[in-house]
Amino acid sequence: MSVVAAGYLARRTAQKERVRILYRRALKDTLNWAVHRHLFYEDADLLRARFETNKHVEDLDTIDRMIADGEAQYNKWRHPDPYIVPWAPGGSKFTRNPTPPEGIEILYNYGREDND
Amino acid sequence: MQSVRNSILSHMRLRCSAEQLSFAQRGNVLKQFRWKMCTSAGTSPDQIMDRVIRLVKKFDKLDATKVTETADFQKDLCLDSLDRVELVMAFEEEFSIEIPEEKADKLTCCADVAKYIVSGGEQKNVNPE
Repeated sequence: MSVVAAGYLARRTAQKERVRILYRRALKDTLNWAVHRHLFYEDADLLRARFETNKHVEDLDTIDRMIADGEAQYNKWRHPDPYIVPWAPGGSKFTRNPTPPEGIEILYNYGREDND
Repeated sequence: MQSVRNSILSHMRLRCSAEQLSFAQRGNVLKQFRWKMCTSAGTSPDQIMDRVIRLVKKFDKLDATKVTETADFQKDLCLDSLDRVELVMAFEEEFSIEIPEEKADKLTCCADVAKYIVSGGEQKNVNPE
């Protein structure tokens, strides 16, 4: 009995993790598609509502099927050119203007020594 | 943009001349200012903590009066896992950082988040890729 319960719990935890990651990715993708905040809020509410409708489903196999379905939909609608924070890997500012190497000093005096 | 730049520069010069800072200090002030302009996470830990707490208080699904540094999002603030995902996304946007999925699960209270943001900033300073 306890083995069955442990197996149930393990499967449940794995499913929770999958749903969490799916929701996170879908939410980020929503922001990629909706370029303005006022558009994004509506889309995010819709997305949340779609997750909430199946909140109380108990059957493990049904949940698995739903998650697989959701992941398939996410993959189908994934944005081809997602937003990346500029200085993160893949961003437009990544490795541009890196910190100068050790021993090089930059003086920010803006030519004041000539005028004073 | 030009007018913004001018107003900021004039403000900086005014402040420098008013306080009569030494050359090295003036360089430091400008350096700090530039750092603040470049990265939104490059402020002191206290300020980051402040911003984290203010952000959490603005989240509309929880009771703003219950928010403290160590209040657990899930237990004390009654947020479910999806709410926490939304909160982590809000942090990512506020501080312009990427929080990986496995890290996002471990952030359970405001202090955790602030610590993670501070440490992330330091890592970026030490070894810029």
